[in-house]
Amino acid sequence: MKRLSRGEGVTGWLFTIPYLAYTIIFFVLPFLWGLLLLVSEWNLISPVREFVGLGNLLEALQSRRVHAAALTPFKIMALFLPAVLIMSLGIAVLINSFKKRQGLLAVAFFLPYLASGVSMSLVVKGVVSYTSPVNKVISNIIGFVPDWLGTPSLAILVIALMIAWRFSGYYALIFLSGLQSIPGELYEAAQIDGAGRIKSFFKITLPQLYPALYSVIILAVGLMFGVFTEPYMLTGGGPNLATHTWYLEIYYQAFSTLRAGYASSIALYNAIAVFIVVGIVRRIMQAWGRAHGWED
Amino acid sequence: MLTKKRLLTLVLVFALVLTTGAAAWANSAIFWTAPNPPQEVFWTEMAKRFMAENPEYNIQVFPMAEAPSSEATILTAIAGGTAPAASENIFIGFGAELYESAALVPLDTLEGWDELIAARNMEGAIKGWAFPDGHYYILPIYSNPILYGWRIDILEELGVDRIPETYEEIIEVARLAQKEGLFLMVRPALGMPTWWERWFDFFTLYNAISGDVPFITGSEITADDEAVIDVFKFYADLAKEKLILTQDIPDAFATDNAIWSELGPWTFPGWKEQYPEMVYGETFALTMPPIPEHHKDDAAGNTFADAKGLVLYAQASEEAKQAVWDFIRWVFADPAHDLLWMEATSLPPVRDDLADNPVFAEYLAKAPELVPYAESLAFAVPPFTHSDFADIQTVLSEEGLIPVVRGTKSPEQAWEDAKAAINGILNR
Repeated sequence: MKRLSRGEGVTGWLFTIPYLAYTIIFFVLPFLWGLLLLVSEWNLISPVREFVGLGNLLEALQSRRVHAAALTPFKIMALFLPAVLIMSLGIAVLINSFKKRQGLLAVAFFLPYLASGVSMSLVVKGVVSYTSPVNKVISNIIGFVPDWLGTPSLAILVIALMIAWRFSGYYALIFLSGLQSIPGELYEAAQIDGAGRIKSFFKITLPQLYPALYSVIILAVGLMFGVFTEPYMLTGGGPNLATHTWYLEIYYQAFSTLRAGYASSIALYNAIAVFIVVGIVRRIMQAWGRAHGWED
Repeated sequence: MLTKKRLLTLVLVFALVLTTGAAAWANSAIFWTAPNPPQEVFWTEMAKRFMAENPEYNIQVFPMAEAPSSEATILTAIAGGTAPAASENIFIGFGAELYESAALVPLDTLEGWDELIAARNMEGAIKGWAFPDGHYYILPIYSNPILYGWRIDILEELGVDRIPETYEEIIEVARLAQKEGLFLMVRPALGMPTWWERWFDFFTLYNAISGDVPFITGSEITADDEAVIDVFKFYADLAKEKLILTQDIPDAFATDNAIWSELGPWTFPGWKEQYPEMVYGETFALTMPPIPEHHKDDAAGNTFADAKGLVLYAQASEEAKQAVWDFIRWVFADPAHDLLWMEATSLPPVRDDLADNPVFAEYLAKAPELVPYAESLAFAVPPFTHSDFADIQTVLSEEGLIPVVRGTKSPEQAWEDAKAAINGILNR
């Protein structure tokens, strides 16, 4: 291998330093600081910083609130993932079917992603309020107004659908680029062989969308471990911790009870949970991809 | 080349700049206001007037950041060594956290403290603000006693000629309202574990019965068991008969959906714009919190005070602390400034003489809905002093009030469980 000249080496370092500095300042140092914090019972300002060893990690393991926070992503995911996949794929197919103005349509569906979670939560709060038109219609049909945010299963449903609404436009863009990269000849060949639209979708479109599906599913699964604004604004984590998430618990411990060390230990568990779950989902997706002729 | 004359001029100018700079530095201080525009306007105006009278001072007023919370902003500023000399927006629970971290200045050790308390006529009000070491670290600025609003126009339509005062009377009236499709109260927070919401639904009623019995003393629960169970039972009874709604109806009290609601004085400026038909004495009345019938003769008749004050930060330089303290003493020496505060914010200043001092008479005559608040200041109890305030009130919600409202626990069991959970926090 040819050695770099001194000048080339310096140039290389010059290009690398900004990223390295960014990584060190915003990732490595905070991570090390977090590790230091999690072995302490400290509110960041007290002159006394008590060393508690693994105390915070053990306390978090036994906490009902942390257990609830660990379970909630899976509950939301069970509803969110199918909903967002169907919605975003549907939007992508719809946009792709238009010959003109695809960009305009894509932007229209992308808008909810740009809106703030707070303002969207306020809109949803209005929609599910006791006297809203939606509830009046429902009440006329079933005879009572569902307690959308006070019933655990309904609260999860509201939050999952709300996040799905917000992200479907964004994921649709990824699917759209995937759809547009599928060669038309494949559909023509399938048509000649007598395949219908549904068969073509499942045998050609979906497998050909593997790279897009892979990205969307990984992004969506990771997203579930960082849900905050929607339950914070709508339910406060209730009822009975049914919508309590990792970030709600970290926020509560760090900024309400002011236990920085304990919050760091929960953040560490959160990171481990994301790492494990995304790892598992990645392997499943890769196995599916291999079964359909894609290489890792 | 510089001539001698030019050199002398330069030296003189340089010396002048240095002297002026040093003087300004000596009397400079930063003051953080609450992230609330009316409060920022008030403090900016005060600083402007103070510096006009005392040009040797330089008081800079900034609003504190609200995200992620004003408490977190203060903590990170102290941790980073960038805390201001003083700030307002401190409630006693957070004050306890700062006190335990030795981050505050004991204000009663500063020159002029007694004179300030006397000048502001707050000898009575200040008593509840002493910390465990006997010192005062917070100077209370405003106190919002929480009162209950009744829709007297709707009560009249229901044939009720007297505002209910006891739990039993309230339940009777609520049943009448229910027949007309109205709720007694709409309060989604009764299903949410948000810690500070307990100030406005639990502690208001608890203080009405228990009076001065502190909820927590040091590391011990000293709450009045019977009072807690009475409050829990009241909510259980209301929820059981569906007299209260824990789902949301925006502005339910002002939109004729509920006849009873806890109200703070901050409600009224918004009503004047959005619901001008809400007129004190015509459509609504204000009362102290209700009590159970069996406590009619011995209840303390207190309420909860959503009160906040200002502190001086220990890490500020001695010069900055002195400058900001001089500024604070100047602000509170004149009742006209408290009047200006009330006009800007609608928040009642902490003064024993708010209801009788002629300075405030004209303003209160124009805003009669604030008179009951001024009159109840003496009966308003601030939050308990403990650094684990958020955790304690969260488990009070999760183990106590919420299961009671949902009907999954008896009031006695709920209090037993909440006490066990609170003890777990206190013994941590």
